[in-house]
Amino acid sequence: MKRNTIIIAVAMILTTGLLIASCVSTKITDKSGSQLWSENCQRCHNTPPSSAFTNTQWEVINTHMRQRAMLTDDEYKKITEFMQAGE
Amino acid sequence: MKKKKLIQCAGLLLFSATAFSQQYNQENIDSLIQSKVQTQVARNSKFLISGYTNMTARFSKEQSSFSNIGFVPILLWKPHQNILVEAELETGLEGSETSIELGYADVSFFLNKYLTVRTGKFISPFGIFQDRLHPSWINKLPTFPVGIGEDELGVGPTSEVGIDFRGGIPLGSSKMNYSVFLSNGAQLITDQGIPSKQGTLSYGNADAISKKLTAGGRLGLLPFSNSSLELGVSFRSGNVGDKNSAYKNVGAKMYAFDLTYVKQLDFIKGVFDVKAQWNKVNVDKADYIDPDDPTGNTIYTFDNKRNSFFTQGAYRPSMAQSKFLKKTELVFRYAGFNPPDGAKDLAKIKQYTYGINYWVNWRTAVKLAYQNQKNDNAFLVQFAVGF
Repeated sequence: MKRNTIIIAVAMILTTGLLIASCVSTKITDKSGSQLWSENCQRCHNTPPSSAFTNTQWEVINTHMRQRAMLTDDEYKKITEFMQAGE
Repeated sequence: MKKKKLIQCAGLLLFSATAFSQQYNQENIDSLIQSKVQTQVARNSKFLISGYTNMTARFSKEQSSFSNIGFVPILLWKPHQNILVEAELETGLEGSETSIELGYADVSFFLNKYLTVRTGKFISPFGIFQDRLHPSWINKLPTFPVGIGEDELGVGPTSEVGIDFRGGIPLGSSKMNYSVFLSNGAQLITDQGIPSKQGTLSYGNADAISKKLTAGGRLGLLPFSNSSLELGVSFRSGNVGDKNSAYKNVGAKMYAFDLTYVKQLDFIKGVFDVKAQWNKVNVDKADYIDPDDPTGNTIYTFDNKRNSFFTQGAYRPSMAQSKFLKKTELVFRYAGFNPPDGAKDLAKIKQYTYGINYWVNWRTAVKLAYQNQKNDNAFLVQFAVGF
């Protein structure tokens, strides 16, 4: 019981601090492909380097990610262009 | 005369040699072109095999073994600008037998900027773990949290057969995503063979088990423009009883809340990653055959409401000077399962898992973990690769 209370208290303090640290207000549509790549991929997994796949493969993979991670159309296009530019 | 014959022979030989050499050169050129074309086709093919593989070793007081060996290829094909075909085959080794299961197989149509329609067998958009975090190269620990999955402790759907409407919508400096589906109903398990499974549900049925279709979905909100925070709410409702049985009117309602927070923070010189999910499944009351009565004539019932949750925190010092530290990640997860009151062979479970991962590269991890659970403590080692 005591352990759970400590866990919950620590989690609440951290959450409050992190929410404050995360408050930024840039329009998503104004962001670059590299920004969107680093912010969106890491929500679930490590960010892959552009050299990991060919340009065509990036198109297929990012279409899969658009559907799976429910990326917006703008995010999908910008991230794909960014990954293809780095091949 | 003799001279003429000699000239004719020499001419024939020369012609044959030239013809052979031309044929040889043509074969070489054809082979070269074919190889070049094949390489080009491979590079430009919109068919791709992706996926992941893992091997886990589990050490506990009772037994130590190499287990949970899995190889999961994901086939992706984009035959048209607005169409994606995808399928996941979950192959694994269970004991001495190989198991093969269709994780998902669906076709997605990207109708416009905000709407994608997918149909087939797909992962249930219920919370975040099953939909996004279950692959071993993404899951930060070698095990699933208790209360997630298809065993008798699983709370919530795993997959659906039906149609799903989904998409992402920008809202200025925020954004939201949605997923709304219609699918075949889950199936209520009533068999007394495994008492702990009575009253649980199986998902992803291709047959129409219940009278009506099931409806559900998830709504996610990302309030910050850096997408660091996502809050989600999921719902699923429908009949679960076999339409040809006494259970035909039994229904089930499910809810889930999830949270994702991932951000690289300068003051801790690394990435802080928090994931949490709470699931609840309420199945209407029904009568089951009491497994404790060998005659099978006694029935019993229970308030079939169960819930589970997990909360996970991870820290990776990605801004550290040391290359070794940069690739190291600390993980802690607290998970729990609360069974229905009166259900057979089920007890409340609390699970604490402590892990340390070493990322060989962006998609390859060696994970070490200690899992603390009543009567089931274990040390785990997992090697996971995404491809």
